[in-house]
This record gives sequence, structure tokens and C-alpha cells, in this order.
Amino acid sequence: MSVEVEVDENDLAEMVEQVWESYLDPEGVSPLMQTYDENQPSEVHSSVSITGSWTGHVVYASSRAAAQRAAAAFLAMELEEVSEEDISDTLGELANIVGGNVKAMLPPGAQLSLPQVVLAPESSARYPNTERISGVYGLWEGEPVSISMWQSSTDTKEEGA
Amino acid sequence: MRAMVIDDSRAMRMILKRIVTKLSFEAVEAGDGKEALDLLADMTEVPELALIDWNMPNMNGLEFVMKVRADPRLREMTLVMVTTESEQSQIVRALAAGAHEYVIKPFTEGAMIEKLALLGLVPTGANS
Repeated sequence: MSVEVEVDENDLAEMVEQVWESYLDPEGVSPLMQTYDENQPSEVHSSVSITGSWTGHVVYASSRAAAQRAAAAFLAMELEEVSEEDISDTLGELANIVGGNVKAMLPPGAQLSLPQVVLAPESSARYPNTERISGVYGLWEGEPVSISMWQSSTDTKEEGA
Repeated sequence: MRAMVIDDSRAMRMILKRIVTKLSFEAVEAGDGKEALDLLADMTEVPELALIDWNMPNMNGLEFVMKVRADPRLREMTLVMVTTESEQSQIVRALAAGAHEYVIKPFTEGAMIEKLALLGLVPTGANS
């Protein structure tokens, strides 16, 4: 079963803004500045899978420096105190939060996986039979950060069938 | 007062622990519902508050709420779901199972404190 997903860049941008306001930039001094460049580089990424009424993945990717800054903000630590485990935990939770909010905008019946974290570029991951359908791409204090949605092409075929 | 923070994300546990500690709670952490139940079984005093994630391995938050509600010893514990599961149907399920309140991630510190004030666990205005 598949549906035409109605979660677009604006919805994602709104979620991202909430995440920044809640955890990464509560003082409102360093928002994510959108670049609209879907080819910006990444060094680490995390993802959650959604299955059911819509099937695909939500991927959070950034530079290592941005991930370290996110962990420091999330955990109220100094940058130099942040460990590999802190980065991994924070990336996983960021994917979980954005993915959960995406799922909430889909028709009922979707399931959210636990997050997966890979301390390697997004380009090193393969999401078979998927296509990127939307994303927010930006710079956070000069460091690349992106949040993207990848829809299973199996769904697309079923839609057309 | 004591609060139990149940979330498989260590990062989220740290955020919640920071908030409740600021409100003078002593915080206990658990990584999933099963670990939380094991800890509760060993406690002589039951925490006044549990902040519970929904999606967790081993035992999810909804299952934990149902187990707690079935145990008379744990009946006085206030249960707050803290989760990304923000669909109306999920909220209804959690409340029907016995959760007292629902906080959707992402949340600000102020929003969490307001929710705890609504539940009478912290004084109104603790946020200011």
C-alpha cells in the first residue's frame, strides 16, 4: 500500500526550526541557514525507516564539526568534552525526532524504526530502490547540515500500477 | 521527590534529567521499559514521576505504562509520555492505557516544566 506523501520542504523546515529552538539553538542566535544545495557534503549521518502507509527513510546528515556542536548543545557540554558516543547518541535522537514528526504527518498505519547512526558520509549509505523526494539543506555556523526524505520506489510503482 | 527517566537515547535522558534535576527531583535513568520495571522492583520508594519514551527496544513505553497500571504498588506514579509519536490515535492509546500526560518531541524546557506544573508536580510559575 502506498500514499502520495504530502510532507514537503516547508514541513521539514518547520520541524527543523522546532528542533533548533528546542535543543540546538534555544537562544535563537544560530539558526540553520538554508542553502538549497542538495549536493552539500556530509561526514556523518543517521536515519530512521518508516514502513506502512508510506515507505522510506528520513536521513539527518552533517559535517563532523556540526555533529559535535549538536552533541555539545544537546548535552550541555563544552565542545572539547564531546565523545564519539555523545555524537552517535545525538545524531540518533535527531533522526528519531525528525522521523517521528514526519510519521505523524503521514496517514495512519506507518511504523517508525529505531534510529541507525553511521559515522561516515551519507553518500556511503545505500537506500535501495529509493528516490529523494524532499529535503532541507543548510549551513549551521558555516557547517553543512541536511535533513532529507527518501521514498521507496516500490511504493511509486504500486501507485502507478 | 524522585523521577524516573526512561528513554533508549542517552542524549534525551540527559536533557530530561537536567530539567527535572533543576526542579529538585532526584533522577533515576532507565534505557527501556524492562530496565525501568527491574529498577522499580528493587526500589522501596516508588518515584512520583516517570517520563517515558514510546519507541524503545525490549519493552516500549506503551507496554511499560500498561504494566505499571496493572501493579497496585506503582499506582501513585505519575506517567508522562515524552515521544515523537504525535498522531492523535497514539495519544489516545497512551492516555487510555493510563498515561497522565503527553509531551511531544521536540519540546522546550519551558513546555516540559509547564506540563509538570499542570500535573501539580512543580509549583505553577516554576518556569519563570
